[in-house]
Amino acid sequence: MNRFAFLAVVALVAGCNPTLSAQSLAPPGRAARLDAVEGFWGIKSYKLELSRGIAIAVTCNYGGPCAKLHVTSDNPEIAEVRDASFGVLQPSAGPTYAPSNQTTAAAFVVIGKAPGTTKLHVKTSDGGRTIEVTIAPPPARAAQTTAAR
Amino acid sequence: MKQLVLLLPLTACAMGGSMHQATIVGQCAADDAACSRRHPLQPLAIGSHFHPDVTAEISGSATPNLVLQSADSSVLAVEDGALVAKQAGASAVLISTEDGAVVDFQHLWVAPVTKVTLARRDGDRIGGAIGLAVGEDITLVPALWNNAQRLAGESDAEWRVSADGPIAILRDGSSDRRRLKARAPGTAKVTVTVAGIETSVDVEVVP
Repeated sequence: MNRFAFLAVVALVAGCNPTLSAQSLAPPGRAARLDAVEGFWGIKSYKLELSRGIAIAVTCNYGGPCAKLHVTSDNPEIAEVRDASFGVLQPSAGPTYAPSNQTTAAAFVVIGKAPGTTKLHVKTSDGGRTIEVTIAPPPARAAQTTAAR
Repeated sequence: MKQLVLLLPLTACAMGGSMHQATIVGQCAADDAACSRRHPLQPLAIGSHFHPDVTAEISGSATPNLVLQSADSSVLAVEDGALVAKQAGASAVLISTEDGAVVDFQHLWVAPVTKVTLARRDGDRIGGAIGLAVGEDITLVPALWNNAQRLAGESDAEWRVSADGPIAILRDGSSDRRRLKARAPGTAKVTVTVAGIETSVDVEVVP
């Protein structure tokens, strides 16, 4: 019985953390991709691939925009995190087809500063998430000759 | 279907940034068709300056005081409010409030100059010799290219004239644009050098 209770608690904890969504496009030839890492109990964590010099906007939801969102980077010299002011209302209470309330989206921006890997820690009043970040170097440029007219 | 038609004008109003809340455009006179700074979405030429005009559209708020920051200052730096193209590549330009909250960002590209052409202020490309009567003038602007891609940004241009008599080259406050004033009958070759690349045009002045 205790084992079932333990598993139920684990399931609740694993399934009751915020979800993250990318809100911006990758520019041509560069990476800006956020993926959920699925485990047996649902989303375990997230992974983010970003090119150096590229930014991505991410929103946080937990039945509505996350409350008290705070994101930190283990190594800001590889991946920098900034609060974002995203002027979009999202349902925060009631069913999604007829919400009884709306709140401004909770968002942050991640900036690829230098090639390498690091972790971001997303904390909210309703739990947290970890994002494994890989910053890739920009693709090598084809040699280009200059010619006077 | 009717609802879709009603939504069309709204979609056309989206701002150019990744979060659709702000746009970076060049500072340029409305009637200056040849102003290279009017092309903010084109790559910036290495070594050029781009003087941005940031416009934000945030529901329920007038535009706060916004600052620009580059994600990769080795590619694109922000110096005294201007974007300075340093080396080929791409960099996000963050548009933030003074307390650091990102309102929007736009990815800009930097490319080397491979070709320089000349254009009139109305954007018409100079394809051959120019004829002027004494007393007339014409304003020419160098246009920067990377192969077929037009580049944006304002670069320092060096203007030379082969003979002093017929033509005077006058500055008009721009770092690249010049006004050619016909002074006396004769012919001259005007040469412009931008980013180490030259182009020239023959000018004939008649009485």
